[in-house]
Amino acid sequence: MDKKYGVYICTGCGIGDVLDMEDLVDVPEEEGVTCKTHPFLCGKEGCELIQKDVDDGKVNAMVIGACSRRVNFDVFKFDNCIVERANLREGVVWPHSREKYPALTEDQKDDEEHFDSIQMKAEDYIRMGMIRVEKVKLPEPYKPETFSKKILILGGGITGISAALDAAKTGFEVTIVEKTDKLGGYAAKMRSQMPVEEPFEALIPPVIADKLEEMEQYPNIEVKTSTEVARIAGQPGEFRVTFKKPGEKIEFDVPFPLPEEMKYDDSGKELTAEEQHNKLMEYNEGRKDILTIDPESTSYGAVILAAGWRPARLEGEAFAHLGCDLPDVITNDEFELLAAKGKIVRPSDGKEAKSVVFVQSPGKDEDDADFEYCGAVTSQVALKQAKYVRNDYSDGKAYIIYQHMRTPGLQENFYKSMQQDNGIFMSKGAVTGVSQQGEGLMVDATNTLLGDNLNIQADLVVLSAGMVPATYDDPVINLAYRQGPGFRDNDIFGQYADSNYICFPYETQRTGVYAAGAVRRSMTIEESMEDASGAVLKAIQCIESANRGVSVHPRSGDMTYPDFFFQRCTQCKRCTVECPFGALDDDEKGTPKVNPTRCRRCGTCLGACPERIISFADYSIDSVGSQIKAVQVPSEDDYDEPPYRILALMCENDAYPALDMVGMNRKDYTPDVRVVPVRCLGSVNTIWIKDALAQGMDGVIVIGCKKGDDYQCHFMKGSELAEIRVNKIGEALSSLALEEERVRFEEIAIDEYDKLPGMLSDFVEEIEGLGPNPFKGF
Amino acid sequence: MSEKYLAQPDLGFIDEITGLGGDTLKKCFQCATCSVACPIAPENSPFPRKEMIAASWGLKDRLLVSGDIWLCHQCGDCSDLCPRDAKPGDVLAAIRSAAITEYAQPKFLAKAVNDKSKLPFLLGVPALWFALLAWITMTAGDTMTNIFHSIGIEWSHSTGHDVIAHADFFSTWFVDLTFVPLATAVVIIFILSLRRFVVDMHNNAVAEGKTDKTVLNWVDYIKTLPRVLPAVLKHDKFNECETNRDRSTPHMMVLYSFIGLAVVTGIFFFVLYVFQIPGPYSQLNPVKWLANISGVALVIGSSLMIKNRLAKKDEQVTAYKDWYILGIVFALGVTGLLTEMARLAGAANFSYFIYYLHLIAIFNLFAFLPFSKMAHIVYRLAAMTYSEYGNRK
Repeated sequence: MDKKYGVYICTGCGIGDVLDMEDLVDVPEEEGVTCKTHPFLCGKEGCELIQKDVDDGKVNAMVIGACSRRVNFDVFKFDNCIVERANLREGVVWPHSREKYPALTEDQKDDEEHFDSIQMKAEDYIRMGMIRVEKVKLPEPYKPETFSKKILILGGGITGISAALDAAKTGFEVTIVEKTDKLGGYAAKMRSQMPVEEPFEALIPPVIADKLEEMEQYPNIEVKTSTEVARIAGQPGEFRVTFKKPGEKIEFDVPFPLPEEMKYDDSGKELTAEEQHNKLMEYNEGRKDILTIDPESTSYGAVILAAGWRPARLEGEAFAHLGCDLPDVITNDEFELLAAKGKIVRPSDGKEAKSVVFVQSPGKDEDDADFEYCGAVTSQVALKQAKYVRNDYSDGKAYIIYQHMRTPGLQENFYKSMQQDNGIFMSKGAVTGVSQQGEGLMVDATNTLLGDNLNIQADLVVLSAGMVPATYDDPVINLAYRQGPGFRDNDIFGQYADSNYICFPYETQRTGVYAAGAVRRSMTIEESMEDASGAVLKAIQCIESANRGVSVHPRSGDMTYPDFFFQRCTQCKRCTVECPFGALDDDEKGTPKVNPTRCRRCGTCLGACPERIISFADYSIDSVGSQIKAVQVPSEDDYDEPPYRILALMCENDAYPALDMVGMNRKDYTPDVRVVPVRCLGSVNTIWIKDALAQGMDGVIVIGCKKGDDYQCHFMKGSELAEIRVNKIGEALSSLALEEERVRFEEIAIDEYDKLPGMLSDFVEEIEGLGPNPFKGF
Repeated sequence: MSEKYLAQPDLGFIDEITGLGGDTLKKCFQCATCSVACPIAPENSPFPRKEMIAASWGLKDRLLVSGDIWLCHQCGDCSDLCPRDAKPGDVLAAIRSAAITEYAQPKFLAKAVNDKSKLPFLLGVPALWFALLAWITMTAGDTMTNIFHSIGIEWSHSTGHDVIAHADFFSTWFVDLTFVPLATAVVIIFILSLRRFVVDMHNNAVAEGKTDKTVLNWVDYIKTLPRVLPAVLKHDKFNECETNRDRSTPHMMVLYSFIGLAVVTGIFFFVLYVFQIPGPYSQLNPVKWLANISGVALVIGSSLMIKNRLAKKDEQVTAYKDWYILGIVFALGVTGLLTEMARLAGAANFSYFIYYLHLIAIFNLFAFLPFSKMAHIVYRLAAMTYSEYGNRK
């Protein structure tokens, strides 16, 4: 593309009042680039002004000096043009006022004592914008050679069936894979289902039968029972799936990654890529490598993981006090199956069980935790099963001893109606013991609403076993990815199929694979059905995005993808290892293979690469590096006391919008800071930090999202990786006689904008303590 | 409470409480707003929250023996503030009613008093009885005189003058021969009931840690009674309420009128049998003043109570047991005053008829005292005395 540059500066929203426009316009014009100003650039007339230049072929790469790029992005959109927004409003004139930083008089302008901090910042932003449009390219979409729009659903329970129906109704072809020999899952084994509509009082027959019947109307649903997935290779749009009979061993069973300790030889030296690969093949003997494509495999566009759950096993020492070995002490799962068969009877002697105690927590320890994997569902199940007792026997009594009674949403009405039942007795409390007493059972509870040491006589005791996600026992999805067959870091979610915690519930760390139903968290039938719809919509979004060569999520619509300059690749595998989404698979030599539709375009690989060979069309080492170099760093040659220059690399997901909010709220912070938004802190390559310090900037602060178990990072690992890298660069800096305090890592949530000014001034204070960068002026 | 407690929910008891106006008992979700709102709940194991859960569990054994249910004056603050509309005040009232039934003997009478369908029976028995006695008085005066003379007593207490005396219609002897044994029976029933009740209340208080006494000392307990009386007479507890403060005055009027009427009856009885001076007394007699004032207060007090209940239909449950007792009290006052007025107006037959109704009302009040809501006089007093004795804080 033959670039024709242009700069447009808006003088509205206070920009023209605060800044010296003549000086600002000089910045591009000195470079020979035409610069136009307009008092209302985002208005009709302003846009037409730009559009005319575009139409006349005068401009196709432009810098718009106006508001933040987070607003009016739809207004300043010109086809086939590179548009860069210099944030003069939220970034310059709104946070910094002329009351605090008075404009210079004519005399002051030329002396070596005074400088105009606000004007300097605005001019830097224009310069940074200009160099960026020079460095970036218009992206072209990646399109896979083959493409499948079929949706694969793992699990034939209520979630999988609902998902299949929803997908089939939108016209997509669907395959349901079910491990057992028939569809329906647990929902098909139940006696009744909780009420789903007003007045939430009567139990209803499970809806699964209707769903199964409905499925027959859709020829685009294929059902594979007694089948499981051996491996899923490839990427969204072209997943290559190998099926097998459960338990069968085949050569396309997914290989497992080499355990960490096997990557080293006896002397502790890391093996070479090829040696590791050999060990890997040895370790997975009889299984083909992930990059070997099964010629018999079936192609799919996206996968929905609806593998569901299994009842938790309550046995052994930990539950001995609850009499888990007694014949009449059973789990809620066993009770459900018993109830499905007929009237509630005691397993020991088949006599009517008219007094049933439902135990919701282990009650042994000091804390009031429920059984593991319990949740709102098990509370509601206890209510439902108590109703069975009452429905079966008019003189039946059902006791629920709970630490938490969770009935979310309108299920509260079900709880209320159950409370009204004379034969239902509920109390908070801890069950400390269950023992056989004659033919019946005696339940000891303490700390109840009725006081301590409460005893209840029971015919049957039901322990509330939780819903353990299928991913607890097995990866299930069996991805033929170099990072391994399952999701990473499931342990922080208790082995529930992971999601991006707060923001994106259906997402997993594997693009194109969407978890739904009880594999994600414990859910009722009703919730699972709703969840299935959500996952189907995500799967369709994925297919329709991958099809057009754009990113699905969270940078929806992004056309760029990582481009590798392989000649310089040293096969260090860092990109493969660090990619939070397992988008890269390295071959036997360690050379990364890119799977662009798996990629979420966070740039973590770009940040990781020591050779700096990875770039995106509009985001590269050079484009950001040049922006940093475009910042003018005044030295003692310019002023007696030159201002400090601080570089802030801010994550565009949370930190950058938070800084915009600082501007909107007219909160001042040091105008000496120059902000460069980055895709994710994971994409920060340390060369940028080194370059900034080398050209005399006094400090670099990188600000990203919260990390940890309850991370808010949109790309899971970004801020975590950034902190590690920043710590490492500290050591390198000290060898250059630069203090490692000059580089700082910070986390911020989007709603914590008020902390940002303090965070920045705190850093500046520390830098002032260290004094100016000694490399300044070289 | 350290000892083990075996919960034995009684589904029948839940039905009973529901039938007695406590149909909201299952709604409670134990937020404790009631116990916080209650102006008179003690700090140590306050009511009515614990009573609510016990009621929803049908724990008859725990509730009926509790002194706490009697400490409640049903001021309605808890029902007013209850977020779940569980109306603890009404539930406690129903439990009290069940407790009266539980402790009163014979049981069938206790049940009949709370049973709407038995009302004709409750009214019919005294109606027949008094009709019989009136018939004897009116038609067999000579025979009776002979019978009485044979044991050396004068039959007629009639003054024989030209005034309307109810003794001519209905022998004073018959009145007293009916009511004196009845009153004695009532006292015996109360004593028997109270003996059980106080012991149960004590054991419950010990079990639930509501008292510092371990052994119940009857003498000390009875000695505590005078300490409680001033508060009862002044309606101190009643006046701590917010929502139903307006109930205090009518209740006080009714209480004092009963005291007044009891005094009048006592004097009349004494004067009749000791000084052989029969009624009716002159309107100038101070005893008559007291009788008239008390009668008027009774009518006004009870009609205010009825009016309050009618006005608060939505906020406060009024069960049959409440209407029964209010009706009796009101009828008692009205028939008493009308009897007197008719007498003064010279309408002998009308006066006699009203007097007949009056006697039926008195009978209902007295004979069923240990079984009706009226028994609260005794139980509440016993519980308040125990609370004072047991240092319930």
